[in-house]
Amino acid sequence: MKIKDGFVLREVCGENVIVGEGLQAINFGKLLALNESAAWLWKQAQKMGFFTEEDLVKRLCEEYDVTPDEARSDVAAILDDWQRVGVI
Amino acid sequence: MITRYYRVAGHLFSVSGEAKVFTQMKNYKPFATQEDDCFVTSLEIDVTKEKPSRIIFTEEMRQEDEEQTIVCGRNADGQPVYQFGWCGETVGWLVCATDYRLGWLLTSGKHSKMAIDNALMLLFAMATARLGTALFHAAVVSHEGQGYMFLGKSGTGKSTHAQLWLEHIEGTELVNDDNPVVRDGVVYGSPWSGKTPCYRNVSYPLGGIVLLSQAPYNQIRRLGGIEAYTALVASISGQRWNSRIADGLHQTENALVTNVPVWHLECLPDEEAARLCRKTVNSE
Repeated sequence: MKIKDGFVLREVCGENVIVGEGLQAINFGKLLALNESAAWLWKQAQKMGFFTEEDLVKRLCEEYDVTPDEARSDVAAILDDWQRVGVI
Repeated sequence: MITRYYRVAGHLFSVSGEAKVFTQMKNYKPFATQEDDCFVTSLEIDVTKEKPSRIIFTEEMRQEDEEQTIVCGRNADGQPVYQFGWCGETVGWLVCATDYRLGWLLTSGKHSKMAIDNALMLLFAMATARLGTALFHAAVVSHEGQGYMFLGKSGTGKSTHAQLWLEHIEGTELVNDDNPVVRDGVVYGSPWSGKTPCYRNVSYPLGGIVLLSQAPYNQIRRLGGIEAYTALVASISGQRWNSRIADGLHQTENALVTNVPVWHLECLPDEEAARLCRKTVNSE
């Protein structure tokens, strides 16, 4: 999967939010707030371009002190969110 | 060919064209200046009778409201092109340098005032977006030395609410009714003011920003950071699909919501709404 074109991570009043700024995202019309780990995963996903759930689980385990199972459930929940609002 | 200079919100720009062009630019008179250095942007205006063959572009986006249409796109050199329409008829084309420091407007001669105003608003908004400046869609009043800006979707009653302040709150004046400019926490009048001829070259520190929506009651609450940011984003002109413009506007919006209180007023079009609003925003 891949983050859709036109979505940008911005810091608004100290919080991380996804905003639709590109032509393809101009009708998004809302902001999606991300917690710190979700924002970190967003940046990883952005860097990779195309990515799988496993790619993100692997990165999360490398960066944070979590078991693969914990990482897997976190990543799945976050990707679920992103899919639901349509940013990936 | 005549060239004239104008300063809006501290930004200097120039307009060149035949003398008759300037007869349609009375709303710019209060902003005229003799200074001629360091332009933020320059517009050259030509009038033609026929559709120019030179203007070929790929459409990216189209904005339609009521009688007015603006088609945005790029030409083969990657330069931004805008086609202005009025009641289904094309009235002008604007071709810009990629950094918006220069613009060339070709008007069809019909409704050319609409084309000139739109071209200058567009050029100004884009050229100043990276300079901590934002062109808002809002009505603004001044009261006791501060500016209060009213936001809301078209038809919400921004002008009506401003009018209620003028009628019921002593010492209130209209600063701008449609397109004020905000720069570093200060709100400025502009040559653009929608249907109300209010072209005042004045400025006030922003005391508050109020998002309006219609309701069968009057109620006001302070908006938190992200809600406030969302309200500003929806009220600022600019093409956010140009990432340099978007970066500049984001910084301006973020600084504004940090430094100026933003409120949401759900209201009736009545005196009580204006009094509640004034009482609340003045207490800050």
